[in-house]
Amino acid sequence: MNKKTIIEKKKERTSFIILFFISIILSNIGIPGIENPALMPNYFIALIIASILNKSSYMNIYKLVIIGLLVDILAGQLLGQYGLIFIFIYLLHFIIQKLLVIKTTPQLFSLSFFLILFSFIILWTTSLSHGLFINFNLLFTQSILTFIAYLIFNIFIEKFTEN
Amino acid sequence: MTKNVSSVSLRLFNRDSFPLITFALLFILCAVMMGADYRYQILKKIKSEFSIATSPIIYLINLPASIFLNTKNNFTTKALLKDKIKSLQQSNHILSIAVQENELLKSENKILRNKLRIKKNFDVVGITAEIILPNVRNGHSIITINKGLTNNIKIGSAVINNAGLVGQVINISKNYSEIMPITADQYAVPAIMNNSKENAILYGNGNGELEIPLFPASSSILINDTFVTSGAGGLYPKGINIGTVAEIKPTKSPKFNSILVTPFSQSTTYTQITVINLKE
Repeated sequence: MNKKTIIEKKKERTSFIILFFISIILSNIGIPGIENPALMPNYFIALIIASILNKSSYMNIYKLVIIGLLVDILAGQLLGQYGLIFIFIYLLHFIIQKLLVIKTTPQLFSLSFFLILFSFIILWTTSLSHGLFINFNLLFTQSILTFIAYLIFNIFIEKFTEN
Repeated sequence: MTKNVSSVSLRLFNRDSFPLITFALLFILCAVMMGADYRYQILKKIKSEFSIATSPIIYLINLPASIFLNTKNNFTTKALLKDKIKSLQQSNHILSIAVQENELLKSENKILRNKLRIKKNFDVVGITAEIILPNVRNGHSIITINKGLTNNIKIGSAVINNAGLVGQVINISKNYSEIMPITADQYAVPAIMNNSKENAILYGNGNGELEIPLFPASSSILINDTFVTSGAGGLYPKGINIGTVAEIKPTKSPKFNSILVTPFSQSTTYTQITVINLKE
């Protein structure tokens, strides 16, 4: 079995921490030139999906919940919402990994887009059920923007962790 | 002869076992936290406690943009400033006349109220503050101001400026407060048209405008009609400018129209605001 070295694990952890801080910064500033604040990617969902799909060895279900709580405190609207989203991403990815063989880049991108859409649907349903309004019409646009953010994070993780 | 295959090797999760019990427990934990937060507003309290640490970080994040805007403002040409002074002097002149008229109306109103024995509805206490961060937090507009609990700011207080209604205080820390702008998608304000005929509730649409989803088609309303606060509910004083009618759209029902209102005040066009605490 292909085990990751300590240096690789350290690199993965460092890249995740860097990207997490970048996500905090970016989620607090809008996209220049766009007045609508809702038209921005969800950087945290993009980061978690990029980390899970890159098979980050340090990522487990407990850490996902803790990261989710941190995101809720820093940029969320409902305590536990992001924790729930992240563990569902973990579960769905686990099931898909068992059912399908994901090897090529297009397959990986399709899977990531599917996970992003799934995350936004959970975000929307949990928000609605707790009295928080999220514009459904913007969900698809936000998913596409989040997918672009995922691609950028993915490139960063690959470049940072490669030997 | 059939092969005896163990049931374990045919299971879905046959290599890495999924932490199903942990998942279930964490799912319940998250659901409980969401429910508790919805009921007891725990996240707001946590954010309020954390604001001492997070406010400087958010300030630093927005610092380059604020520096850029300030520099841009400082480089405004002299001629432009002279023109502005001239126009301000003119408007000051007009306003001073209006103030005189208002004083007259105020005293007249006082006499009439005394005659009618109507009590004054509310006593307004205004606290002037400065916007330090008109920013976006994960897709939601938030305005941070430099006054907090120490300045007697209260949650739910209305925020106005010289153009009109700005928003409502939603979070308070010791030295900072957060305001939800009137255009935020969770915002609602009772309003009345300037001709005092039509009452309505305006909702922020999260897109820089307010809207009335269902406005009776039988009521007369025109583009550029002005909405002001109606004072209903006692949260906002009556008569604060909200915005003008920008668009009247038909809905699926022929009995109602959807009205789009452009607010007088935009979070990027001012720095000074007044927080109003109402005393019943």
